Amino acid sequence: MSIIDKTWIGIQRRFGRQRIRKFALGSIPFIVLIGTWQANSTFGWLPPVFIPELGAVWEAAFTLQEDCPSTGAIFAMHNDCLLTNHIFSSINRVALAALIGLPLGIFFGILAGMNRTVSRFLEPVGVFANSISGIAWIPLAIVWFGVGWMTTLFIMLNTIFWLLFFNAMLGVRGVSKVYENSVLTMGGNRWHLIFQVYLPGAMPSIIAGIRMSMGFGWRALIAAEMIGGTSGLGFMIFTSAQDFKIEEVFLGVILISLIWIATDRYLLAPLEKWTIHRWGMVWKPE
Amino acid sequence: MRDGRKVLTARDLLGVPVINLVLVIICLIGLWWLVSASIENPDRYLPSPLAVAMSSIDMIEKGVLPSYFSDTLVRLVIGSIIGLAVGIPFGLLLGINRTVSDIFYPIMNFFQSVSGIAIFPIIVIWWGNSDETVLAVILYTSFFPIAFSVLSGAREVPMQYLNAVRTMGASRYRIIRDVLVPGALPHIATGSRLSIGFAWRAVIAGEMLAGREGLGWMIFTGQDADLTAQVILGMIMIGVTWIILDHYLLRPFEADTIERWGLVQR
Amino acid sequence: MVAKLTVEGLTHRYPDEYTGESVHALDNINLEIQDGEFIAVVGPSGCGKSTLLNILAGLLPHREGVVKVDGTPVSGPGPDRGVVFQEHAILPWRTVARNIGHGLELQGMPKAQRQKRVSEFVDMVGLTGFEDKYPHELSGGMKQRCAVARTLCADPVVMLMDEPFAAVDAQTRITLQEELNRIAMATKKTILFITHAVDEAAFLADRCIVFSRRPGRIKAVVDINIPREERVWATLVSDPRFTDARDRILGLVREEVGEDEE
Repeated sequence: MSIIDKTWIGIQRRFGRQRIRKFALGSIPFIVLIGTWQANSTFGWLPPVFIPELGAVWEAAFTLQEDCPSTGAIFAMHNDCLLTNHIFSSINRVALAALIGLPLGIFFGILAGMNRTVSRFLEPVGVFANSISGIAWIPLAIVWFGVGWMTTLFIMLNTIFWLLFFNAMLGVRGVSKVYENSVLTMGGNRWHLIFQVYLPGAMPSIIAGIRMSMGFGWRALIAAEMIGGTSGLGFMIFTSAQDFKIEEVFLGVILISLIWIATDRYLLAPLEKWTIHRWGMVWKPE
Repeated sequence: MRDGRKVLTARDLLGVPVINLVLVIICLIGLWWLVSASIENPDRYLPSPLAVAMSSIDMIEKGVLPSYFSDTLVRLVIGSIIGLAVGIPFGLLLGINRTVSDIFYPIMNFFQSVSGIAIFPIIVIWWGNSDETVLAVILYTSFFPIAFSVLSGAREVPMQYLNAVRTMGASRYRIIRDVLVPGALPHIATGSRLSIGFAWRAVIAGEMLAGREGLGWMIFTGQDADLTAQVILGMIMIGVTWIILDHYLLRPFEADTIERWGLVQR
Repeated sequence: MVAKLTVEGLTHRYPDEYTGESVHALDNINLEIQDGEFIAVVGPSGCGKSTLLNILAGLLPHREGVVKVDGTPVSGPGPDRGVVFQEHAILPWRTVARNIGHGLELQGMPKAQRQKRVSEFVDMVGLTGFEDKYPHELSGGMKQRCAVARTLCADPVVMLMDEPFAAVDAQTRITLQEELNRIAMATKKTILFITHAVDEAAFLADRCIVFSRRPGRIKAVVDINIPREERVWATLVSDPRFTDARDRILGLVREEVGEDEE
């Protein structure tokens, strides 16, 4: 075997032949897409108002930031740092909604699930609440809180809460009575039950609920910002669309999906892996 | 051999015991009434159940409510049908051929994370505030769940079934018809349910954003015109419609398919 | 006379999925199977028996060597080479009758004619009364009978069987072997039968091919000259024609395995 063959086999061994192949094949549509995009601008197939130039999208990021005084001002969310303002607004709401909504939903869900009668009673409530999509709450939220950040926060909070409430409740309900009984007969009290039986037992349902609700919540947040917000990425792409500034719209859309991809891939999926996959519990969605 | 169909009980029909459901509804309405009566300016913030009921009667009489309802439903049906018609074959194609799926899976994953909602502003620049825009958003949103479901369903069909039929001289068409589709049917059923769910959410959002008449539009304009009763009415209708669609149509169909095939698959 | 199945100089290499290195599965296989012969193939694990069968079936493409059935080169799966798989692979969503008739259905035989033929084969494999049952209602042995019936019913030129009785319990296995023997007598089909079980090979085959370990070569061919009518387990167990052949085959296989374990 020549040096080239040896090196190639070495690389294949290191990364796995399958992974290299998958990576190469999977890149093809992206390359084609970007190529076609660029070709469109070069050959002028569609007017730039419909498909912006590749470069224009990149530049839009800087144009939006041009009045921004300094890096410090970015974090202080100075009014003129348009792009970063929008990004941070959205992300802040996500973080806040998650911080409040997740624990609340899980807590009440577990509580509801612990008492079999109560949970059977509350199940229709959960079903109904989840049937009104987060987005359908937007007009009512605007009535209550007016257009602004409170509405957008509420929408995401609402979405997260109900989904987690329902999932936690079902998860606790699904915990076999045997586990409950075994802890009780070993002298455990209610708190022991909650933390040693119900919480772990409902974990698959809860973790899956976290992942799902963050996805739904993120999308509902963007919609809320579009319809009833005054800042945030959703607001940005909606108003840019009204001004026909398509390069800003493209920029915003790309950022929205990158933020979700990053969150899901580097936060939520690992969370699932470190907890329930390790414990051998996987939850099948309803 | 399994004997006949199982006996349907009241519980099957409603998902929860009847008495439970009635009790819950009464309690909720009662709670609602209380809260509404105890705040100031209820007409704006939380109209009483009575006010909402009156509003509904009024809108039915004007013929407005049924028309909004049917507009939304029609969009849902058309959008879902197209989404399924495109998504199922696509999923099958990717499921059959490993190379094809290796090529398209990553980019599908990428575009799935660009939600239909986010893509709305782009489409609105192209096609304006029109029914086509709403339909495009519905299509985009409902395509991915079904495509991915069918893809995994097709992949899970054991290779030996495909091989067995190939050695009997089956054409590509027969392989798909006799093995792939029946084998993937449970996943197709589940994926359809998920897909229609996404489509439902998309149609409401699309109507709100693009200003097309329907239930979504109804709650949006209700807020704008300070007709909170209309908003709440619309929300209830959206919720109830989805419950009926999901629990009495989609889930039973899916469960039935899985059960029949589950009986039949090892 | 043209042999039913001809293999000349068949060599097969493939790149390992994970490292990319070349795996040498088969090396210069030459064999000829005449019409009506029952050939068994035995050998240590990984020696390439299944690879050979898959190539003959057309499920695996071959680059070096010639493979012909009835004089025509093989280039893909087809009804001329029927296959019975180890996991039976009968479709769970079809009844026994529809599974058995599947090959004929694909060949375009009209329904009435098909049903007649199907019931012949249902009876031949002893599944009378189970025509409308679904596979999940059958035992393992019955599923395998259904698979055999399906392949036979489509009337292939050659029947390829890949360890068809490996997943079945010992008692059923013995019964199935005797049934297969009877079927071979009745239909005079050309059969290539792959198995791990040496006594199964000796019981069923006219000739038994012993493979070496990887890369698979034909180590030896053992003739078993016992008429089909006399192949019954009760009497054969003590028949020296059987025991000699079996012991010889076993010894040959053990040599190959022994080298592996060094």
